[in-house]
Amino acid sequence: MNRSLLGMVAAFALGLTACSAPDAPAASTAKVTVLDANASQLRADFNAAKGSVRLLLLVDPACSVCLRGLDDVNDALLKQVHDPRLQTFVVHEPVTGGELKDVVPASALLENANVRHYWDPAGAFGKQVTKSLDLMHRGEPVFAWDVWMVYDGDTVLPANGVVEPNLFMHQLPKLRGEPGRPMLDGDKFAATARELLKQLPERQRP
Amino acid sequence: MDKNKRVWGAAGGAVGLGGVAAALGTCCAAPWAVTLLGVTGAVTLARLSAYQPYLLVAGAILLGLAFFWVYRPEPQCDDESCAPTTRRRQRVAVWIAALVFAAISALALLPFVL
Repeated sequence: MNRSLLGMVAAFALGLTACSAPDAPAASTAKVTVLDANASQLRADFNAAKGSVRLLLLVDPACSVCLRGLDDVNDALLKQVHDPRLQTFVVHEPVTGGELKDVVPASALLENANVRHYWDPAGAFGKQVTKSLDLMHRGEPVFAWDVWMVYDGDTVLPANGVVEPNLFMHQLPKLRGEPGRPMLDGDKFAATARELLKQLPERQRP
Repeated sequence: MDKNKRVWGAAGGAVGLGGVAAALGTCCAAPWAVTLLGVTGAVTLARLSAYQPYLLVAGAILLGLAFFWVYRPEPQCDDESCAPTTRRRQRVAVWIAALVFAAISALALLPFVL
């Protein structure tokens, strides 16, 4: 039994190694904008895309669960829908040790040209999202990362903070079970985005 | 199977499975998964984390078997063919394995608590 279990563990390790083939060279054109304290560049880009359905994703580029979420959203939506009326804004934050250099490899998970990536070096934008959306657990604020939001074409981000999205999903244990805060489900996330896209005028361009 | 080997195997297996479960559970607590396995590997690891509870249950079952084997009454017979063996060393080992498994399980479940 000892040998068979050792064999299982070895097979698991080999399988992981096989699945961890060297990452394909990330698109050298992947551009990352370093945000200022108020995320003004993100707000400008987001609001300039008014008229589009917008996805706002906050992740740590070194967090496996976040990366799985990016992969799920890619599979369910982004690699299938290349409509320029669907714009994606990914804010990368250093929470579990992620660094700016991790953003480009993570960006390769999203196979869509209408995606912009931002680096939030001090997590300032995440704190604003926490405050704006009142993300709390037992009276304590929950920092906004690993959150996945869908906004319709009419939304405009204010000068500070964010507004409540049409759909808010997350993968945070502390927010599990909170009303109106479902766990990320790639298919449901994609369905909401697609539904909002249908509601946009056919030929409207951002 | 030799009685010693199955006890060591069960106890060792429990610790091994607990270790794998802990690895799956802590994959997001630090960037080690991405550093070691790359983005694709880290995504795979995160998907495998869904099996973490099954690994912990399997480890607990193996540990239970180990305890059963070291504590069940020895068969009694008149001749020396089934003379009782000393199982003290095995019992100590199984208890150590249980403590290690408990610590690893706590580590595996920590991301869900924090």
